[in-house]
Amino acid sequence: MIIGKPLDRVDGPAKVTGAAKYAADQHIPGLTHAVLVTSAIARGKIIRIDTGQAARSPGVLSVITHHNGPRFAYQPPKHPWIYGQTHVPLQNDVIYHSGQIVAVVIADTLERARYAATLIQIDYAVETPEISVEANLDKAFIPERGPFNLRYEYRRGDAHGALATAPVRVSGRYRTSMQHHNPMEPTATTAVWDGDHLTLYETTQALAFTRQKTAEMLGVDQKQVRVVSPYLGGGFGAKGYVWPHTFITAAIARSLGRPVKLVLTRAQSYTMHGHRAETVQELSVGATRDGTITAFVHSAVSQTSMLNEVSWEEMDATTQLYACPNAELTRRVVRLNLGTPTPMRAPLSVGGYALESIMDELSHATGVNPLELRLRNYSTHNPENPSQPWGTGKFLRDCYELGAKLFDWPHRLPRPRSTRRDGGWIGVGMATAFHPTYVSAATVSIRMDADGKALVRSATQDIGTGTYTIVTQTVADALGVPAKSVRFELGDTNFAPSAPSIGSRTAASVGTAAHHAGSALKDKVIAIAVADHRSPLYGIPAAQVTAADGQLFHRLDPRRRETYADVLRRHGPVDSEAVWPAAPGISRSYGAVFAEVTVDDATGEVRVTRLVGAFDIGRVLNAKTARSQAIGGMIWGLGTALTEHTIVDEHLGRILTANLSGYLVPVEADVPDVDIAFVDKADPAASDIGAKGVGELASNGATAAIANAVCHATGRRVRDLPITPDKLL
Amino acid sequence: MRVNITVNGEARQVDDVWPGESLLYVLRERLGLPGSKNACEQGECGSCTVYMDGTPVCACLVAAGQAEGREVRTVEGLASGDTLDRVQQAFVDAGAVQCGFCTPGLVVAAHDLLTRTPQPSDPEIREALAGNLCRCTGYEKILDAVRMAARS
Repeated sequence: MIIGKPLDRVDGPAKVTGAAKYAADQHIPGLTHAVLVTSAIARGKIIRIDTGQAARSPGVLSVITHHNGPRFAYQPPKHPWIYGQTHVPLQNDVIYHSGQIVAVVIADTLERARYAATLIQIDYAVETPEISVEANLDKAFIPERGPFNLRYEYRRGDAHGALATAPVRVSGRYRTSMQHHNPMEPTATTAVWDGDHLTLYETTQALAFTRQKTAEMLGVDQKQVRVVSPYLGGGFGAKGYVWPHTFITAAIARSLGRPVKLVLTRAQSYTMHGHRAETVQELSVGATRDGTITAFVHSAVSQTSMLNEVSWEEMDATTQLYACPNAELTRRVVRLNLGTPTPMRAPLSVGGYALESIMDELSHATGVNPLELRLRNYSTHNPENPSQPWGTGKFLRDCYELGAKLFDWPHRLPRPRSTRRDGGWIGVGMATAFHPTYVSAATVSIRMDADGKALVRSATQDIGTGTYTIVTQTVADALGVPAKSVRFELGDTNFAPSAPSIGSRTAASVGTAAHHAGSALKDKVIAIAVADHRSPLYGIPAAQVTAADGQLFHRLDPRRRETYADVLRRHGPVDSEAVWPAAPGISRSYGAVFAEVTVDDATGEVRVTRLVGAFDIGRVLNAKTARSQAIGGMIWGLGTALTEHTIVDEHLGRILTANLSGYLVPVEADVPDVDIAFVDKADPAASDIGAKGVGELASNGATAAIANAVCHATGRRVRDLPITPDKLL
Repeated sequence: MRVNITVNGEARQVDDVWPGESLLYVLRERLGLPGSKNACEQGECGSCTVYMDGTPVCACLVAAGQAEGREVRTVEGLASGDTLDRVQQAFVDAGAVQCGFCTPGLVVAAHDLLTRTPQPSDPEIREALAGNLCRCTGYEKILDAVRMAARS
């Protein structure tokens, strides 16, 4: 078995030598460069836009504004999924947010386009923007349900009644910040037309979305659009949906008759493809004196944009994680003059932070150890559907046990603000991680040639999680060949349609299709061999033949054997293709995260000194890539807890932190010792290969665990993320 | 203008360079070496780290003209043929690579660290690589890779 082994990344050598070609690395003859000009105001109108000087600047081929902008065949609706946003720039003079595209300059070199872009002069009629969630809470409303199954209201039992009569009641008002994904690779589009066929080299987490929506906007058939993305430099949600810069670039390339490349600057990435919405959440929990929870009431308000109605900050953990008969959840939005929010790694982490914080507050109120409190309210059935047992796929108890042991979680916690080391207060905290298991339909095709090597193809993506590697392993196991006999190609819509890389679904979805395609190919080759009188396997019932190490052999008489290559040399290449239609998605992924922090007395600086995570991700497909993802996820949660927030000027509505020196992502020096454990038990209800998602689950839990540890260290509950030093002084 | 640079041991001559262009742009767009990555263009992320006369620099902050007559070594110039440099090999072995976009800059920065300090302590590694941002890995495995390379 190769599955589960810590196989080195098959794409590793290409990435460490610089040979891997990302979207902006393609060499295209005759390429031109596009540079965006963006709005300097957050609300109002363009009253004059002077492009004369820019158009006359050396090397400039075209200057596009709303006066001569491309016109499109479609208008995305107000719940735009799988478009990123409703607003299509360059169609009129209205400004909805700062950083909106107002002009595009195309020139023969990037520097000439960039210089010409500075020559465009714009006069605006400025209006006062709405940019504060807090100031607009009275205008919050429940969005219309869109095609994507986002849930804005839920209730069971009598949550308010149960809360009113509960012997212990705890309430908190939690705030989380606007955040930006900041994948290291900037978003890039290169559009190349050949007649009426378009090739897009695109930074996308979803080839199929890009193809479908670009075709829809341009009014062409999907078959005329090919999307290519063999390597993707992270995404975390920013590259999940289809945003205007993509189809605008494609439209300009079509009218110009030249290939056009657009690479967003880091600053532009703060307004071009979404962000995590700021939220204000009120959460109350009612319980008996021994900590048995009787009610949750959770209401949240998050930001949306002027034309969209959407909130991605799902809060299902409140209603699904703990056994509790009465629960109410309401999610509303307010319209602001900021861009449209989009999912960012682990949308559930925002509500999960509030839930796991209030659990900690309940622990303080009842005196029940945080870990014991969670075990006391453990759900064996889906609390939303008591007839549905979580069954054999829930191993959260194992997570608590493994994590507590690794961390050496104390049975009796010292009082808050009672432990000191080296001039700082020390504290520990823990939290549960929870994430739905999403899957999508996927197709994988395989061709095995006469040399016995398998070429596997699927139109999916590897956003860095390890898709190349785990599919290679899965197919190798299904065929019974060594991993080096399998080559996996992805990132091209010319291959069989497959799953998007959003919501931690790629491994389970594409992995399952890969398993079936491999098994089907093996069966075909066995059928050929047993029917071929030249084969040593001739006449053996097919069910008695199996394969390992590239050899097909009789189970009962393993001396009767031959290689795949032997069979295929006689018969020519064999193809297989498998479609996995996706499972119903009733599983969840779980984890337990434990943190230790030191808080400096004098500066209020929080240092995370230890971080332990134990996760139930179903079957572990590759011990090395899974571990790396889990660590990365936890450090992602550390950033949310302590450093990351997008700051907006409260008068002008402009983002003040639109770079990597103002928006602080964790760096090497911020990272503590991290330890990880996996339960590693297959969940057959999640996918046929027993795998569940990893990446987002692991970034849930860490944020609340760290926040709880800060409270334990300092005795102060900061309910406002990130916990920057000023909030502790 | 014309710029003469020795890149990965090979003398290269680049014509029609605009004086405001960065070394990164020249490497990526004019010399066909896209290994060094453009991620912030402000020297904040380290993705474009290359050696210039043996000193690691952010190629995005070096004007093309400043590279005149210099020796530049990029991530493409670290391996000998098909044999990876020990730092490259350690990044693969340790699982320090995910999306790979920060990797070229990190590999060069780690290579430089081990050239200057063959047996770095953990705090020295953390400090030396704190200017190279990675959004995927959480850094733990990068630390492992540098330790591993130091031992090899």
